[in-house]
Amino acid sequence: MMTKDQYIDSLRKLNLNLWMFGKKVENPVDDPVIRPSLNSFAATYELAEDPQYEDLMTATSHISGKKVNRFTHMHQSTDDLIKKVKMQRLLGQKTAACFQRCVGMDAMNAVFSATYETDEACGTKYHENFVKFLTRVQEEDLAVDGAMTDVKGDRSKSPSQQADPDLFLHVVERTADGVYVTGAKAHQTGFINSHEVLVMPTISMREGDEDYAISFAVPTDSDGITLIYGRQSCDTRKTEEYNDIDVGNKVYGGHEVLVIFDRVFVPNDRIFLNGEVKFAGMIVERFAGYHRQSYGGCKVGVGDVLIGATALAGDMAGSAKASHVKDKLIEMTHLNETLYCCGIACSSQGSKTKAGNYLIDLLLANVCKQNVTRFPYEIARLAQDLAGGAMVTLPSEADFRTPELHDYIDKYFKGVASVPTEDRMRVLRLIENMTMGTAAVGYLPESMHGAGSPQAQRIMIARQSNLEMKKELAKKIARID
Amino acid sequence: MLTCCVKFCGGCNPRYDRGAAYARLREALADAVSFSLPEEGRAYDALLIVRGCTGCPYLYEDIQAARRFPVHSPEEVEQAAAFLRSLAAEQQDS
Repeated sequence: MMTKDQYIDSLRKLNLNLWMFGKKVENPVDDPVIRPSLNSFAATYELAEDPQYEDLMTATSHISGKKVNRFTHMHQSTDDLIKKVKMQRLLGQKTAACFQRCVGMDAMNAVFSATYETDEACGTKYHENFVKFLTRVQEEDLAVDGAMTDVKGDRSKSPSQQADPDLFLHVVERTADGVYVTGAKAHQTGFINSHEVLVMPTISMREGDEDYAISFAVPTDSDGITLIYGRQSCDTRKTEEYNDIDVGNKVYGGHEVLVIFDRVFVPNDRIFLNGEVKFAGMIVERFAGYHRQSYGGCKVGVGDVLIGATALAGDMAGSAKASHVKDKLIEMTHLNETLYCCGIACSSQGSKTKAGNYLIDLLLANVCKQNVTRFPYEIARLAQDLAGGAMVTLPSEADFRTPELHDYIDKYFKGVASVPTEDRMRVLRLIENMTMGTAAVGYLPESMHGAGSPQAQRIMIARQSNLEMKKELAKKIARID
Repeated sequence: MLTCCVKFCGGCNPRYDRGAAYARLREALADAVSFSLPEEGRAYDALLIVRGCTGCPYLYEDIQAARRFPVHSPEEVEQAAAFLRSLAAEQQDS
């Protein structure tokens, strides 16, 4: 496995075509806006080296029998599924941000089983291609971005009906050696910090959509790929002279990019689906299921930090013993642990696929994610309630460091006398960061829309709720023939 | 000297600082017990399993050890310390 330092060095060798604020980024690794997100991703390598965490962070490869990072592992049991959620909670606790590597893990597990079943039905060789790719990923401990979400254009039209054919990523040319693809994938959290991208279709496909039913993997710095960095609230605080207190979370962060594919070549042995429209939906459903399970771990870990910060804010303000403060912290914990219950439940009820890896219970995974679209907002609301107005009216760190102003700020923003004002400022800025600053992108809208917006889960819940069986139960009890 | 392998549970939501509890134990028994992380194929006199909560079911059967001490709290770490010290004393006597 790679160490954290080896991983960071490996990113320096990538030649990404990345743009931010209208300029090309020549050195993403050391860019102050990007680096916190890289640090979050690097934590997936760092914790795997630590004996205190290796039992969650690593697994035994079913291919080589060797120890691998769990993010590259194909789940071999429900125990593996549970450990995945626990690992994600751990990383959420350590980073208070999106650590980005889950998408690739979920994509690989989905494509692993879907390629097997596609081959079984269609006589193709996609599973062989995928296992070859996976073997390299495990051996070299590569970071893989999973790319599903197309920009989608007019939502009322299918891929092949769009006015602009590129609004869904598709094959534009086929050769004897492979295919060329054009299109874009949106909201990509892990792309910049990954060595490879595993592309999947974004929706179920029908006849006529063959060119859009494409799955493959290519290096992230392949010719024809352009990245445009997503703007976040408060992002330029990271570039200010005083960029410690005001950023809230100095070390870790999360980010997103728009990934544009302009005639990117994909060799045949890197193709995992190519025109078999019937199996596009299988990849989508399985990836979404795994990723909805993931949110029952990662957002819970981030929630742990927010609950801790809120409790600290109460301690520092002298309000910790007030009954409503205690009760609100209990409510935050209740909501957070409910999400964890969902993540553990859909994992423990998982089952074996034909390919041999384990899939979560899809109904429970969708219920899990549906709750994630709501509870973090309530947890954040309670955090803002308890933090008080100072969270958003604090002067800047630059003011605090200015001799003429320092003593005023130190005096008038003090809570409990024994607590330094600077400590209180740091906690309030952390809560601001997580509920309305850069980290709020990951904790709130990402909880809403990541792994599918709320309606996507409701469709899956409706499909799997077995309402007819429930009606029969009621009829029997009510003695209706 | 008694050999003791230490294995941590993974730590998704520990109820105490497992690393600090282990560090205290290791320091307290430095004169009697040799602690190490698991090494493949090696047999130990004891295996200390430092669990963060009661939800961890694993006994790590793949690690060869004559005695196993799963602990879930600082108090149980202290109890394990007493057991390990008595085992070390027995070994020395024999």
